[in-house]
Amino acid sequence: MAPLKNLETEYPIIDSNFQNFCASHGIFSVEDFLIHDLYMLAAFAEQNVSSERLKEGITQILSIIDDMHQPWLNGMELLEDAKRNKHFLPTGIQGVDLLLGGGIRVGQLTELVGPSASGKTQVCLQTASNVARNYMMLYLDTGNSFSPQRIAYFLGKTNELASAQAKNQILQKVMSNILCHSVFDIFAMFDVLHQLESNLRCQERGGGCRIRLLIVDSISLLIAPVLGGTSTRGRALMASAGYLLKKLAHQHNLAVLVINHTVGSEGGTSKPALGDSWKSIPHSRLLLSCDRGSNVYNVSILKHPSMKNLRSKQGPS
Amino acid sequence: MGSKAWLVEDESAREMLDRVLTERPFLLLPPLHRVPLRVGNIVEIVGPSPSAKTHILIQAAITCILPRQWKGVNYGGLGHLAMFLDLDCRFDISRFSDLLNHRIMEAANGSSSEVDCQIKESEAQNATTKPYNEELFASCMRRFLYIRCYDSSEFLATLKTLHYRLQKERETHGVNVHVLLIDSIGAFHWIDRGSSSFSLEGDTRKSLHLQSVTETVVQEIRKLLLVHPMLVMATKAAVLGNRYSMNDSKRNYRTWSAKDNLHSRNVTSSDQQVPYREYMPAVWQSLITHRILVRTTDADFVNGEHQNVSTYLSEWLLPPLNSVDKFIVRDTGVFVLS
Repeated sequence: MAPLKNLETEYPIIDSNFQNFCASHGIFSVEDFLIHDLYMLAAFAEQNVSSERLKEGITQILSIIDDMHQPWLNGMELLEDAKRNKHFLPTGIQGVDLLLGGGIRVGQLTELVGPSASGKTQVCLQTASNVARNYMMLYLDTGNSFSPQRIAYFLGKTNELASAQAKNQILQKVMSNILCHSVFDIFAMFDVLHQLESNLRCQERGGGCRIRLLIVDSISLLIAPVLGGTSTRGRALMASAGYLLKKLAHQHNLAVLVINHTVGSEGGTSKPALGDSWKSIPHSRLLLSCDRGSNVYNVSILKHPSMKNLRSKQGPS
Repeated sequence: MGSKAWLVEDESAREMLDRVLTERPFLLLPPLHRVPLRVGNIVEIVGPSPSAKTHILIQAAITCILPRQWKGVNYGGLGHLAMFLDLDCRFDISRFSDLLNHRIMEAANGSSSEVDCQIKESEAQNATTKPYNEELFASCMRRFLYIRCYDSSEFLATLKTLHYRLQKERETHGVNVHVLLIDSIGAFHWIDRGSSSFSLEGDTRKSLHLQSVTETVVQEIRKLLLVHPMLVMATKAAVLGNRYSMNDSKRNYRTWSAKDNLHSRNVTSSDQQVPYREYMPAVWQSLITHRILVRTTDADFVNGEHQNVSTYLSEWLLPPLNSVDKFIVRDTGVFVLS
């Protein structure tokens, strides 16, 4: 919310006369222009002595505002970007990959919901071990559930036929590709994500090995404490977190996987936590459940951009 | 002599009706087909998440960007531009291009007399991988204009500069923008409500909170429609009331403080009343001219071999028609069942 006079050096048309004119209408920064009627302002400028200069100033402000939004794209450009950048990252779990059409989609926010001890962290760790063979990834751990031993176990299972030396090399590479941060509240997560955003923006110009996957295990543990009660700030924080994750995913070509837990609802059934306002934030939602007796894991789709509905895949872990 | 020229008629009423109906045709888009829509209408599509609302918008966009006729095949579109303001930031372009491609193929297969048999055979072979007709596909995709907004400031900035953008696109493409699609209008509701509304420098300064943002949005849309007549369609995610689902909306009613009542109405669900909780400020509600409610049902529809597709219900609330339509979403788009 920088005041208008900061723009004077770069745009000499925004001189003190213009600033005083704006101040008389209650406008002190560029953001204030967004909620004022610019045509009315131009009409007032007509009645002023230096109307031409004032109107030029308003036109200059409009071109500054034009830089404040994302660029307009047409369908072909969007499709080009999707084909070039927005690939699928296979998780290594057959059922999940089949349901999602190849894996977790780059550029989208995928949510995995499940009751406790249904294998959500295992899915995350296996996905991490699979993706980290080729790309770097960031794992945000909220409940001290990240386990390097488990990752080594998953790698060992898929590489049974390789030699000990090759296995060791892969293990080293995967371990160095996983960045793990512990976050215990939502503000720490915002910190890490903003840091990530500025790092990625610098890297865009310089090249280098880039992060492709972001896992938040689990986002419900971060958001649930601020939700609830009469205050609306919790929901505002939740919505902002969702938008930040989607922005990172789309602009910097990351795949984002977040974990949510379930809560009880009427009738004894369970439903995903974080309420109805969270429902429309992720692109895809998967429901994970575990049948303890037969040790079979069941994955089904709650929501997907292609509206494939409630197909489920089963399999032992 | 000059003043008498005023009295000479320009066109008869029949000619005027013909002209208006060609330039500003009525659109019958499934599942909104019961009420013909034209430019100047502002339609709100309300429903819980997920309920195929974005698919309805995509359907409208595809109908708008397809040409009426192309190389002898009748596509039934308008051949105009469509603008999509993605406030949810969840739009999937691959899904959009699939739907467009299937519509093109369906239209081409449907018209039997003009299409060459050889083309049909070769097209059946590369059905899914290549677009059926690259040139037509590319020209349609270029008529689809898209922008993302990550917060209210970006949304307002887009609306303020939309007038110049519309003029520029009209010069580039030679056709007008016919539909403006907003997905979804309540996206920044909680973020705007959460932002502080304290006023600085006395009362002359407005700040970016929910009421001022919504008023500005409504004002900008009204002004735009004066100069660029378009059909505006906006989706809105809503929590259904007691009639349709038992959820914790009851609890949320009681915890709202008195201040919130300025911004929204709690509409209770009696049989003929609106069955969801309205949260948009009254200034937005006064802008819209049409409203339709969509929701999913538990019934599945067996579509083809062994694919269960979920069924959706749509119900017009404004104008209130006492009928409920069923529809499913197929590869070619929305398909009405009943």
